[in-house]
Amino acid sequence: MSTPTIAPTARQPGTATARKGAIELRQVRKTYGEVVAVDRLDLSIQPGEFVTLLGPSGSGKTTTMMMVAGFEEHTSGSVMIDGAPVDSLPPRERNLGVVFQNYALFPHMSARENVEFALRMRRVPKAESRRRADDALDRVGLAGLGGRKPRQLSGGQQQRVALARALVFNPAALLLDEPMAALDKRLREHMQEEIKALQKSLGISVLFVTHDQDEAMAMSDRIVVMKDGRIVQSGPPEEVYNHPVTDWVASFLGDTNLIPATVISREGGEAVVDLGGLGAGRVRDRGARGDKYAVSIRPEHLTFRVAPGRENSGTGELVSSTNLGATIRHRIMAGGRELQLRELSSNGGAAGQPAGATVHVGWDADKAQLLVLEG
Amino acid sequence: MAQATLARARPGAGGPPSGAPPKRRRRAGWLLLLAPVVVFDVLLFLTPLGKLIGSSFTGGAYARVLADPLVTRSLVNTLSIALTSTAVTVVLGYVIALVLWRSGTVMRVILFAVVLLPFWTGILVKNFAWAVLLQDNGLVNGFLHNIGLINAPLPLLHNRFAVIVGMVHCLLPYAVFPIFSSLAAIDGRLALAARSLGAREAAVFRRITLPLSAPGISAAGLLVFIISTGFFITPVVMGGPGDMMIANEIDYYARQLTDFPGAAALAVILTVLVSIIAAVYQRVLKAGGQHETL
Amino acid sequence: MKRFSAPRAGIRRKPLSLLSLPVFAFLVVPTLIVVPVALNNSRYITFPPDGISLAAVQGFFADPAWTSALSASMQAAAIAVVLGVVFGASAAIGLHGRKFPGQQAVVGLVLAPMIVPTVVLALAFYQFFISVGLVGSIVPIGLAHAVIATPYVYLTTRASLAGLNPALVRSAQSLGAGTLSVFRHVHMPVILPGLISGALFAFSVSIDETVMSLFMQSPGATTLPVKMFTDIQFNLTPKIAVSSALLVTVATIGLLIQVVYVLKRRSTARMMPLAA
Repeated sequence: MSTPTIAPTARQPGTATARKGAIELRQVRKTYGEVVAVDRLDLSIQPGEFVTLLGPSGSGKTTTMMMVAGFEEHTSGSVMIDGAPVDSLPPRERNLGVVFQNYALFPHMSARENVEFALRMRRVPKAESRRRADDALDRVGLAGLGGRKPRQLSGGQQQRVALARALVFNPAALLLDEPMAALDKRLREHMQEEIKALQKSLGISVLFVTHDQDEAMAMSDRIVVMKDGRIVQSGPPEEVYNHPVTDWVASFLGDTNLIPATVISREGGEAVVDLGGLGAGRVRDRGARGDKYAVSIRPEHLTFRVAPGRENSGTGELVSSTNLGATIRHRIMAGGRELQLRELSSNGGAAGQPAGATVHVGWDADKAQLLVLEG
Repeated sequence: MAQATLARARPGAGGPPSGAPPKRRRRAGWLLLLAPVVVFDVLLFLTPLGKLIGSSFTGGAYARVLADPLVTRSLVNTLSIALTSTAVTVVLGYVIALVLWRSGTVMRVILFAVVLLPFWTGILVKNFAWAVLLQDNGLVNGFLHNIGLINAPLPLLHNRFAVIVGMVHCLLPYAVFPIFSSLAAIDGRLALAARSLGAREAAVFRRITLPLSAPGISAAGLLVFIISTGFFITPVVMGGPGDMMIANEIDYYARQLTDFPGAAALAVILTVLVSIIAAVYQRVLKAGGQHETL
Repeated sequence: MKRFSAPRAGIRRKPLSLLSLPVFAFLVVPTLIVVPVALNNSRYITFPPDGISLAAVQGFFADPAWTSALSASMQAAAIAVVLGVVFGASAAIGLHGRKFPGQQAVVGLVLAPMIVPTVVLALAFYQFFISVGLVGSIVPIGLAHAVIATPYVYLTTRASLAGLNPALVRSAQSLGAGTLSVFRHVHMPVILPGLISGALFAFSVSIDETVMSLFMQSPGATTLPVKMFTDIQFNLTPKIAVSSALLVTVATIGLLIQVVYVLKRRSTARMMPLAA
């Protein structure tokens, strides 16, 4: 009954020593009959890296995670953990901690028994497994609650138990499937910070699956945006947010102004474009190629100017101003299209201009992105 | 009881939703809908049962039947046969429910049909078929003879073994439904979680599936036991003279001896006995439930 | 919630399936051998059959003792189905979405005949019908069957009513609909499947019921199972096999209706009688 890859190590939980947990997917493909769920995916997660698969439902993100965990068999391609292919290994030999949507805590076991489960499966002696389980519960802030059944714990506490259970056996990496979906907004933000802090202190790599872009932004070292079983864009959160490669990514990651553009010249990471009614523009260019182009400018990157500019600017009529608390949202008709501008309330709000007033707006070249118009 | 047990095994199968505050003006009219069934059941269900209970207390019936060694024997038979068939039925029913649960949609419908065909078929038909299979020149003995395992036919019919085979066959569907319900209520992610934590299939079954389907097992056990205590046909068709159960004794008192008070007393004894066992069983289960652990 | 089929993903199912094969065979084979036995060529019961012929079937229908048993069964079933549907369905509708003192008692009363052992009921009915002088015909048997069939119709109707919002009834009433027209336009379309499956249940319960029919049998009122039960104790004859085959055919038809219904609704939960 030996399970070589998951033999309990002497390493104490919590000591961030030699980093392991590199996950690599090479040309991984998953089909259900005619339907392609995941299409020739290449993805590599560095040891200690927090990578988020972000996409709408049906984008293949959960299927991808299930293939890494070993619950779904991929149709072709290869999955490697720490350099070794694991394609033929059952989940129990992959040594990955998984936190499921709704946690999947064993309802008939106490919190401690849940956490101990992996250790019992690895034949860790009773006394040691109990000590390690209590340590793990302690670390997630549940000291003294080990005797409770899952139904006697709050949603946040249940999630902590799930985390402790997934971490107690020193897994190579942690897989999290929409773990925050069942929590309310305030608790969710708190748990995001906690999980991030825990991950950093353990130095463990994480593959995180979510459809919530705020969550992805808040937690990830790298966001992998998925759509229809493919990766559309991959990069650090700020980069994906500020420099989306397609209009779909731009819209999926938040509000944006999409202005159809004609490319006049592009070189050195910059493009000169014609923005129709808004005149000439000079914007960031990451080399995306397509039939049609647009420029994306986030509402918070559009600012009021005192005078019209030569490029990256427009003049129009203030349609409405809505106070959203921390920010104010303005709608401006300029160059034949409606633009959204968001500024901090503390700025004073369009310098007190009433609706109908003529205003000038502009943006910085490095805050505007040339992207491919898919639709 | 049957309904209550099954409903408990399947969360969400409860009664009709409770309505908004009743409109008093209209309610009387709708209550009239209940009149036929209430009158019918009072007249043709409660009255006969009441008469039966009443008659059991006439002419020292209880003392008479309890002094009858055949009665005590049939009571012992009833308990022993019912307990054995219940145990066998629950084990086999669990296997069937497990396969049903793990099957894909199409296979599941087919297998359900396989379970339901005997359920829809009358007990006499099933017992007749078993008699054909188990008789001296039947299929089973013929098969054993042909492969050279036996020279003379085995006595497979008209004994305790045959009674239990026939009863288990009749009882199986009643065990499958509550067990399947409790299996179907298990979150499929629990098994995935257990496997990701290092559990093999056997450990997943022993530590997750089995404990979580325990409510279905106990519901099935109770239901099957209660039904099995009332068997009448099977002991006659498939059993020997020594395998008569309490129901056969009731029949004997009523139709052979025309001792109605005696038969009534036996019927009351059977009902009370089963109720006591059911109550004890549920109390034991409840007490056990408070200490459930890994 | 997700598309992957959680409980089955990657599970090796072979060993369990192989293990369960004899159990499924145990369950279904005895029911299935009845038909070939009935079509056996021989004057004696054998399995496998020597050859196929309809001789036993013709013999069955030429024997007045068996045909009158068949007709007695049909009459009893007719009484049980009609009364069971009327009483069971009216109870289900009357209790749907309502709360009143004593409601639990009414539900208990409606369901109680299911839980009393049939042998106890048989004795009670036997005694009762003798005392009121109603013996020697099929009527008491039909009435007794109606008593135990009613809860089944009640349960199937109640299950189909579960999809009906009680507010719909109240709003129909507030629009001026009388009791009858509320029933026709609101209840009837919803409960029809429940009524049909309840009627099938009632028919099946009656046609297979043996103990009560045995206690209350008389020369003109011997049902098919009673005739089978009496004969079976002496000999296993081809006519018993034909009668069994008839009953299995009835069961199969009932089952097929149920399967079609389930496939339409796409819910295996509905295949579970009582709990459905």
